[in-house]
Amino acid sequence: MGKYKKIIMIKDTNTGNRTSRIYDLFLNSLRERGLEDDVQVVRVADINFYNKGVVARILPDNITYVKIEESDIDRIVRISIVKDDTVKDLLVDPKDKQMRIVLRNCGIIDPESIDDYLKFDGYKGLKKVLEENNRDKVIEELKISGLCGRGGGGFPTWMKWNFAKSQQTDTKFIICNGDEGDPGAYMDRSVLEGDPHSVIEGMIIAAFAIGAKKGYLYIRAEYPLAISRVEMAIEQAHQKGLLGKNILGTDFSFDLGIRLGAGAFVCGEETALIASIEGKRGCPSPRPPYPTINGLWGKPTVINNVETLANIAQILLNGGKRFSNIGTEKCAGTKVFALTGKVKNSSLIEIPMGITLKEIIYDIGGGVLNNKKIKAVQTGGPSGGVIPEEFFDTCIDYEGLQKLGSIMGSGGMIVMDEDDCMVDIAKFYLKFCVDESCGKCAPCRIGGKQMLDLLTDISEGRASCDHVDQLKRISKAMQKASLCGLGQTASNPVLTTLKYFEEEYKEHIVDRRCKSGKCELLFIYEIIEDKCKHCGLCQKKCPVDAIDGDRDNGFMINQEKCVKCGQCFDVCKFEAISR
Amino acid sequence: MTKLTLKNFDQETSKEEKEIKNWVKVGMSTCGIAAGADVVMETIKKAVKENGLDIKVIKTGCVGKCYAEPLVEVKVENMPQVMYGKVDADIANLIIQQHIIGKKLLNDCIYLVAVKDGKNG
Ligand SMILES: Cc1cc2nc3c(=O)[nH]c(=O)nc-3n(C[C@H](O)[C@H](O)[C@H](O)COP(=O)(O)O)c2cc1C
Repeated sequence: MGKYKKIIMIKDTNTGNRTSRIYDLFLNSLRERGLEDDVQVVRVADINFYNKGVVARILPDNITYVKIEESDIDRIVRISIVKDDTVKDLLVDPKDKQMRIVLRNCGIIDPESIDDYLKFDGYKGLKKVLEENNRDKVIEELKISGLCGRGGGGFPTWMKWNFAKSQQTDTKFIICNGDEGDPGAYMDRSVLEGDPHSVIEGMIIAAFAIGAKKGYLYIRAEYPLAISRVEMAIEQAHQKGLLGKNILGTDFSFDLGIRLGAGAFVCGEETALIASIEGKRGCPSPRPPYPTINGLWGKPTVINNVETLANIAQILLNGGKRFSNIGTEKCAGTKVFALTGKVKNSSLIEIPMGITLKEIIYDIGGGVLNNKKIKAVQTGGPSGGVIPEEFFDTCIDYEGLQKLGSIMGSGGMIVMDEDDCMVDIAKFYLKFCVDESCGKCAPCRIGGKQMLDLLTDISEGRASCDHVDQLKRISKAMQKASLCGLGQTASNPVLTTLKYFEEEYKEHIVDRRCKSGKCELLFIYEIIEDKCKHCGLCQKKCPVDAIDGDRDNGFMINQEKCVKCGQCFDVCKFEAISR
Repeated sequence: MTKLTLKNFDQETSKEEKEIKNWVKVGMSTCGIAAGADVVMETIKKAVKENGLDIKVIKTGCVGKCYAEPLVEVKVENMPQVMYGKVDADIANLIIQQHIIGKKLLNDCIYLVAVKDGKNG
């Protein structure tokens, strides 16, 4: 780090209101000592701590103080700035919750420059593999690493590669699954756009290990920038002798092509994906035989997810042992999540396996938006489930999430608050699966539709308690009898919401009420006279002039005009509006 | 372009390039561009040229702070490396004038990043 004059960064991490005041006090204190030209105080927008009072970070020493009160400021300046010592009682050691392997270069290198990638250890993993020239050793390293597929299933990667490797045939394929169709997921896009070479390097290593000469990246057509950066990367790799004939001057040859998906969710399923590349309709077929035995054009094929592949080069370069030390004993490495929904810091994060949902939501995500009450997180997209707040201490790994009825999935993580209705959420995901079902097998095609009708009854106030039993029965049938993962898991969002939010279903069915204000037929906005302070804010805010009355006589909502947008509810400071 | 081989790999990839002392990185993935990173990029390039600055402007992927896009990271000599968020053309110009030329950090725009590098630790 170069030398520069001291800097004090500050931020009120609770409300933000005290930042300016503390800023002024620091300036005063420095001025009193004649230090105002030697030290810069700067207000920052995000200091990476949340709900820790006023936080200050001093650079270049990289010291962080939390819960600073006004009376502490003089001490901090005297001890930390003048004396170069630390104020022990305010000091914290900022622990980084995130750890980057897959996203190691994202946002750091120029994704369109192979030279940049090479500067950051790029293709060194491949070089090592080709130097050692030992396919068994590659598989062995992967086995030691404990890497499991990041595309949803969590199948051990070494096993998959080993199946394909042991097939005695000249033609084999490696496919990168970049279909990424889960609502709310954009991990794979970010990797392909931010560091395409990391995926390509992983594919070349996989090809060497299993004995493939040709590979495909299957990317959805809605990702034009990812596609163009991957195209560019393939071209550059060719020029450098990293793809094509005689890679790195050895007798190993391998080439890559791109195939575009038209955005059908089911085409992310491996057998449907293969059909799609073969030019057929994107419908799944029964497994076994698995693609590793009988895959693309009937040949042994390894299909791996983008994120899985982005891990490979690092594992081979640094050894499987080091990778296996990251995360938990049963579940090694990191996982990328797209953290979205009602969370302050929507972000793309990479965390070591084993940290808790709470750490993700509060320490990285900064907590819930607009100080609303959190209700649940949804993981795993349409195949996953919702996890209520009481289980936020659960460690993130395949098993932990599965026990709760959800799945890790590919990495979508959506935070939901009191305004999200669980029946509505279940309906949303189920509708997604019904729309995306290929229609080949009856359990998924018919079962999905029936479940959606039942849920619609519930959300529109036409249901009886039988509806819940029916939902459960059809779910079981779909889980057991559907052809592919889409139908087998489509009921997960319904089952988990039923499990954890039965009360909410009951409210819909018995009381015909939707307290979250989502199921339009099941709630109205009303002003509670006792609580109303006649401030008139709701009337000002209403976009359709549906609130009658004045400040003297009070207000009333005209139900005929009300469009149930909820703005009056949100704007009322006195909780005088009910729904 | 020289083709790499097992033999020349180390030599070719470790060629001592002059270390880039001053740079600005703009996150230009779909997410950043949707939030206006292309305008920010143009503004910065123009300002660097107009002021005759010795600064390399680099396009990168996404660092993951989606809520604060567009993101601009700055490293100039004798200043800490920092990330600015929610940058628009005005803030971009301020970054050039105040941070890069004036050597003073901007108030209210810095987003600290804290991630451990899994590669080396
Ligand atoms: C309906 C459905 C959609 C899927 N979508 C994806 C996807 O978008 N990306 C992906 O990598 N895997 C997806 N999968 C999982 C793949 O079938 C496959 O297991 C995965 O690509 C294997 O890679 P991995 O072992 O590296 O995880 C999907 C599975 C199902 C049933």
